[in-house]
Amino acid sequence: MNMRIPILKLYDTLIVSIQWELDDRTALQFQEDLMEKLHETEASGVLIDLTAIDFIDSFIAKVIGDVIQMSSLMGAKVVITGIQPAVAITLIELGIRLEGVLTALDLENGLDKLHKELED
Amino acid sequence: MNERSSVEIYTEWDVVAARQLGRDEAKSIGFGTVDQARITTAISELARNIYLYAGTGKIEIRRLHDGVKKGMMIISSDNGPGIPDVRKVMEDGFTTSGGLGAGMPGVQRLVDEFKIETEVGVGTTITAIKWLR
Amino acid sequence: MNNQIIKNLQKHKEEVMYAWIEEMKNEKGEKFFQYMPEHLVEKTSREFTALMLSNIEEGEDVSDEQSMEFATKIVRFGWSISFINTAIDRFSKVVFKHLEREGVVNGENYSRFFELHLNWIEPLRRSIIQSYSLEWERTFNLQKIALQELSASLIPVFEKISVMPLVGTIDTERAKLIMENLLEGVVEQRAEVVLLDITGVPVVDTMVAHHLIQAADAVRLVGSKCLLVGIRPEIAQTIVTLGIDLTDFLTTSTLQKGMEKALRLTNREIKEVE
Repeated sequence: MNMRIPILKLYDTLIVSIQWELDDRTALQFQEDLMEKLHETEASGVLIDLTAIDFIDSFIAKVIGDVIQMSSLMGAKVVITGIQPAVAITLIELGIRLEGVLTALDLENGLDKLHKELED
Repeated sequence: MNERSSVEIYTEWDVVAARQLGRDEAKSIGFGTVDQARITTAISELARNIYLYAGTGKIEIRRLHDGVKKGMMIISSDNGPGIPDVRKVMEDGFTTSGGLGAGMPGVQRLVDEFKIETEVGVGTTITAIKWLR
Repeated sequence: MNNQIIKNLQKHKEEVMYAWIEEMKNEKGEKFFQYMPEHLVEKTSREFTALMLSNIEEGEDVSDEQSMEFATKIVRFGWSISFINTAIDRFSKVVFKHLEREGVVNGENYSRFFELHLNWIEPLRRSIIQSYSLEWERTFNLQKIALQELSASLIPVFEKISVMPLVGTIDTERAKLIMENLLEGVVEQRAEVVLLDITGVPVVDTMVAHHLIQAADAVRLVGSKCLLVGIRPEIAQTIVTLGIDLTDFLTTSTLQKGMEKALRLTNREIKEVE
């Protein structure tokens, strides 16, 4: 039962859409795969779309936080898109603020934001 | 009146099973999407704590119906090492696992009622209740 | 046992009723009997008397069912609970006086009346109070729902910009509802900037500020930006005095200024046309 999350490359951006509930192992596998892909493609931006995710616990949140830090070490910016209202509320109540994380309403806005960030 | 169901926690996968059970129950009781997320997340945190600190334990879910209100009770129990200083784990930002886990105050904020019973060397039982608004 | 009493009361229904109305008229502070039109007073009084007596007619003790039915009817009169209490007291007094005058009750068999009082008047009073508190609870819950419904809707003003005006006191329960409406609205309306207008919030204490900060944080997570507008001078003072940190928050004093900022943030401006 090893499901891998597909990582797509579009010009200099990697696009990831997470479509099912993340268990711990899948999440860690994804972390590894993404770093691998960043290294391979030398992409400068990553978009992670979470529209389909209906809950995030502290473990997944930590994986996401780590992914952002690792990407930044490898010279890439990450934008998270499509966090659902219920997920945002739960995270805030849990006390997980994901400070400094770039977010956008949807993929389109996310791409705009990413390009703006990369221009600066 | 109170139906119950439970998941034994032995492996990481049981954490997933526990929260799926919680989500299904929450949905069928009639909780909205935000409360479903709160419940699922709370269970995930509790189950993960069992897995991380006690090794094995159990997540039990009961439907509550006191005549006026409907709700859901989550009972997390283990025979692990217990918590030496409960006050300390209830402080925001306290963690012994190096950043894993939002900690008990976070879980408490997700539910309406929250109680920890623990004894060093005997185990810990955490009871959390969410009422249908 | 109380047959004699019951028969007597049945016979003198009218008499008892008018005596009771007179008593009630002398009650200070009760406007119903003083200001209501005569025929209405009589109609209601007749109903009240009939209800009071209907329970005793049945014979022995008053059943729970009967007294609940009675109480429900009384509550519908719309009288205050203290007024109803007085009405029952006066009724009891009038009945006693009447029975004494009629010679049905005297010094020797006084205990008969006491028994009557215990088995008739008191259960009625208890059930009235009970159904009153039930009615109160129901009203309270309905009002709570009404309050929730009226609180906080997100209004799309321009493309990418929405406003949520907050009015009234914010407690924890309302704060949760506000947060849910806010976030669901932001995602649904694809608002890139939301203005949270607190002009109508009378007090911003640490708790309210905490809720506002949480809401803004959650808005950031879904990918939008939250501006806090409508900060009155006294609110600014309390915020600083309490040491609440709103530096992560974009804030403006008025909704108008906030709107200008929101337009700037979305690369637009309002221009006058010639």
